[in-house]
Amino acid sequence: MMDEERFEELAAMNALGMLENDEKRALDGAIARDKEVRALTLELEQVTAELAYLIQPVEPPANMKKRIRAKMRAKGVKGAGISRGVVIGGTGWALAAGLAVASVWLWQERAGMTQQLAAASRAMAPVNTATPVVDDGKTRTLEEELKKRRDEFEAQKRALAAEIESLHKQETDSKAQTAKLTAEVAALKLQEQQSQLQIATLQSKVWEYRKSEMLVVWDQKRSQGVVVLDKMPKVQSDQDYQLWVVDPSKPDPVSAGVVTVDAKGSVTANFKTVEAVTGEAKFALSIEKKGGVPKSEGQLLMVGP
Amino acid sequence: MSQPEFSEEDLLQRAGRGDARAFDQLYDRMAPRLFGLLRQMLHDEREAEDILQDGFVLLWERASTFDADRSKAFTWAVMLFRHKAIDRMRMLGRRNRLVDSAVLEQTILAAPSHVSVDEEVQANERGLVVHEALNELPKEQRQLIEFAFLKGLTHHVIAESLGIPLGTVKTNIRRGLLRLRDLLKGGA
Repeated sequence: MMDEERFEELAAMNALGMLENDEKRALDGAIARDKEVRALTLELEQVTAELAYLIQPVEPPANMKKRIRAKMRAKGVKGAGISRGVVIGGTGWALAAGLAVASVWLWQERAGMTQQLAAASRAMAPVNTATPVVDDGKTRTLEEELKKRRDEFEAQKRALAAEIESLHKQETDSKAQTAKLTAEVAALKLQEQQSQLQIATLQSKVWEYRKSEMLVVWDQKRSQGVVVLDKMPKVQSDQDYQLWVVDPSKPDPVSAGVVTVDAKGSVTANFKTVEAVTGEAKFALSIEKKGGVPKSEGQLLMVGP
Repeated sequence: MSQPEFSEEDLLQRAGRGDARAFDQLYDRMAPRLFGLLRQMLHDEREAEDILQDGFVLLWERASTFDADRSKAFTWAVMLFRHKAIDRMRMLGRRNRLVDSAVLEQTILAAPSHVSVDEEVQANERGLVVHEALNELPKEQRQLIEFAFLKGLTHHVIAESLGIPLGTVKTNIRRGLLRLRDLLKGGA
């Protein structure tokens, strides 16, 4: 749709109050940018508003003007107040305000005097703590009533104190948990930064192993990895394949354990070297005695990368 | 002593300058029609009263921004009250559903009555013009515009409620309102 039609559509729907929030934002953006869109939007709003001439009038409640006045006063609207047939001038408003203040003062005075009178009556009455009071259909003395109230307050106080303590404990636990998780995240991030994954494929120059494939994924930081072998010939029953990691800083290859292939000559196995490897690693595979040997004795079949 | 007869535009401008009596007269002239509109939109007497009350407070506060060169006082007020009603409907979560089972055919704006007493003369004259212009529109456009005007629902809800494709709703609203604008301007 062309832009013009799109904005006509938005302006029309806006005029009828039909737009969703995102569409309203789109239109507002266009109004801010484009004078014509702004004019069209206003024009259609006015066209739409004219439909209200066709509305059947309904007389609002008789007290609506009073309600509007009250709302204006409550909101502190400047110049609040619909006239009651007489426009009240500045002096009139001051007089009205004065009367209102006086009314409030008189009301307060009256309330205060009522309280004083009640207090005086109580003071003049004979003190009798055994005077029964009625509560929930039972009679009890004033002392008992006060004790009951005090006990209730004490119980509430204890409950609140327990709740506060529990919340404090939860807060402490949460903080500890957050600190622990933060530390773990930091450690993991560090580990991730430090981990040095190396992927190597190895092939053999030995004729029988020319079709064999070997893949090593090596994490030097942890001195562990995964080896994948495929199309490996069977070894004799008293022999095993043994994996070696060649560390240039060490005189001999470091054993990474024996690897047993299945009937198809395949295996995927995790391995870990017997000692840490610090230099840039190479990998080798040899055939050794069953169970493996600490130092390579057999022929190295594959070396790489 | 008879008072001079002010137009609604004059009254609104006077209210904008703090003339409480002008505001009072404006209320008398506009409130019944605005209240009728709010009752139709909100389907709730109490809500309509609340919006009428809040709307007139807002009208008093904003009257000084009214520009008689850009719009009529009544349409300006209608826009203000409709916005308030739609805001309330949005707050109540009513814009996303039909409040009653009103169908399209039942939601029709009334033709203005011909009882023209004093201050209603001008309103009714304009009402007749609007009524005639609205009747010039194809039925499907006219009904959709009336429905949308009175219900304050989103286009998705209108399309779903009436079983009309969304694109059809949008197109009819656009074409209908543009045509209505031209007709009200006196165009063919």
